[in-house]
Amino acid sequence: MDGSSLLEQYLERCDGQFKDDLSTSPQLFTPMSPYDVDFPIQTTEDVLFRSQFNQPKELPTDFSSVDLSFLPDITQDNKEQNLLEDGHEMQKDLVGSTSNEDSSILTDESSLAYPDATQATPEASGACPPLTPMAPMTPVTPASESSGIVPQLQNIVSTVNLACKLDLKNIALRARNAEYNPKRFAAVIMRIREPRTTALIFSSGKMVCTGAKSEEQSRLAARKYARVVQKLGFPAKFLDFKIQNMVGSCDVMFPIRLEGLVLTHQQFSSYEPELFPGLIYRMVKPRIVLLIFVSGKVVLTGAKERSEIYEAFESIYPILKGFKKAS
Amino acid sequence: MAARGSCPACGSAALVEDSHYAQQQLVCAACGCVLAEGLLTTTYAEEEHLREVAYSQSTGQKEQLSRCLQRGIRRVQDLCKVLQLPTVFEETAVSYVQRALQHPSFHLVSLEKKELLGGCCVFVTCRQHNWPLTMGTICSLLYAKQELFASVYLSLQKELELSVPALSLADLVKTHLNSFRLFQHAADIPAPFVENKEKVVARTMQIVELASETWLVTGRHPVPIVTAAAFLSWQSLQPAARLACTLARFCKLAGVDLPPPAHLRLKELLEILLRMASQLAWLRVFNLDKKTVVKHIGDLLQHRIFLLKSAFCPEDEEEQQCAAAPGEASPGSAGGAVQGGGCPSAGKRRPLLPPCLVNPRKRLRTAAPSASDSAVTGEEPISDGEIEQYLRGPEEIRAFRKAQAWL
Repeated sequence: MDGSSLLEQYLERCDGQFKDDLSTSPQLFTPMSPYDVDFPIQTTEDVLFRSQFNQPKELPTDFSSVDLSFLPDITQDNKEQNLLEDGHEMQKDLVGSTSNEDSSILTDESSLAYPDATQATPEASGACPPLTPMAPMTPVTPASESSGIVPQLQNIVSTVNLACKLDLKNIALRARNAEYNPKRFAAVIMRIREPRTTALIFSSGKMVCTGAKSEEQSRLAARKYARVVQKLGFPAKFLDFKIQNMVGSCDVMFPIRLEGLVLTHQQFSSYEPELFPGLIYRMVKPRIVLLIFVSGKVVLTGAKERSEIYEAFESIYPILKGFKKAS
Repeated sequence: MAARGSCPACGSAALVEDSHYAQQQLVCAACGCVLAEGLLTTTYAEEEHLREVAYSQSTGQKEQLSRCLQRGIRRVQDLCKVLQLPTVFEETAVSYVQRALQHPSFHLVSLEKKELLGGCCVFVTCRQHNWPLTMGTICSLLYAKQELFASVYLSLQKELELSVPALSLADLVKTHLNSFRLFQHAADIPAPFVENKEKVVARTMQIVELASETWLVTGRHPVPIVTAAAFLSWQSLQPAARLACTLARFCKLAGVDLPPPAHLRLKELLEILLRMASQLAWLRVFNLDKKTVVKHIGDLLQHRIFLLKSAFCPEDEEEQQCAAAPGEASPGSAGGAVQGGGCPSAGKRRPLLPPCLVNPRKRLRTAAPSASDSAVTGEEPISDGEIEQYLRGPEEIRAFRKAQAWL
């Protein structure tokens, strides 16, 4: 019983994050140290899977320092989701089973049979803090603490519909901060100083705003561009403002063995030193692309929400720590 | 003699080639409909035997695709022959070409890029079988621009979801050194320059391993490292005669291209070797410099594990020491281990870090978002004055119009 309820806690924590539910008392949230031991199973699977494609020359036999607790999330994601949906009505026991002695939790996914509802704790969802745009999210991997490093947003790309046809030649003539070269590109390139951004304004009335460092700044900048277009005499509106892409970067402060990372995470990584010095890691959940460099700098891109960047970094940090050369 | 196909009018398969006043015609025997007459012949042999092939039979509907496919397959076959690859590689590569050309995302790719698909598939096949083949080699065989090849390769990898293992340096060393000409006597190579291939290969492998342990390989092009390592190992096997030879001359004699980064890699390798030499008791007596350390490469490689440990302090130890010391204020400094100022043991050891961390280029770092920045809500009122600064006044517009008329 202890084993499955610890697993339930872990799973419902994931569920709690997705559902953004505040109801439980936060002090029931305990970090799960036993999760450290679920590596060996996953590693052998991965090695067997990849053995048909390459015979790695030096495969690290000792995986105890490598935190692969991220991997189960990806491969068994569907399973977990289904089981969560199935067992949603069942009451989960949070109180009784905070024992840390049980160490073999995730050994068998199939033994995840949701038992008869024993305890009746109504507020059963995970005790995770809510997702607010400005606060970094708690990591999904309970085994390690938060890395303490917060990725900094470097660029936000957003689009907005001004909903009126524009005369680009006219705009380029009457605005100081606009450039328009129809032979090169079919849009006016406009820049404003505060927030320091650039906008591409198309004749259909659609606009792309780039260069802002936060979502709010991007929205403010887009409004300023719309106001400029309004003052130039066009009936510009501000419809469907949407953040399309967010780019963040940070530094893990230690060099990373990219060759080792591409060996153990082959399905997600692409490392071609002849093409690009960094490793391109395509994370599945959340769907973010990370550029990882040997100096320890990481660039995260492809996010639509700030929380995705934080979540992606918290997922990759334990993996990278595993490649910190311990001499 | 009955020809293939069916009559479009009645659907019967009984087509006969008949001649009407010595003009060849393809006629349906059932309904008499003339399918074709005065046809274009496609081959000399067929013309000889007075057998025309109908245009609708000689080319298919997907004519463009099949021609690209034919070209792709032919390119794959030629490449496999030139590179002397096993036959199983050819089959795999051909299957990749077929999959790629049938994939919808490749239908609208320019012909220039489709030409490179054959080469990309061969490259992927070789990498999957751990056959060391570099992109540079394929690009030179295809006469392709490397950026174009890179984009086709990346999209191929993504669309067909191929997993391509990393290039193994050990195999690359062997293959690259195979093309060196210094292992046999020849007219233009001075006698003392000729060397035994196995010895050079073995020592080059050791130097390349040393380079990868000391962070010189990660993120860099592999071929310049192999070239520099080969040069050092060749020099060290007979230093007396070969120290005077430069890297450029070595490459010319060996008959290989000198890649531009090779000089930098050579410099970095020599720096590592010098640091290691400073830890060897019997070498401390000499004042070694970049030239003379080459003579002792054999000894250094023999004891490299011990020397690396004593010559370089581990990175995390370095960070702990330097965290206490007043580090740089800028957020860009990497772990304070950059300058190596707080390094222990008489300041002789520096941390074992990649060169980009040891010599960081001073970059303007944007300051972390200040409190005022984060207070932006996105819905603030926008003052008219601020917007008006971006608009031209009427005189300015007139002046601009006049200036534009001049251009």
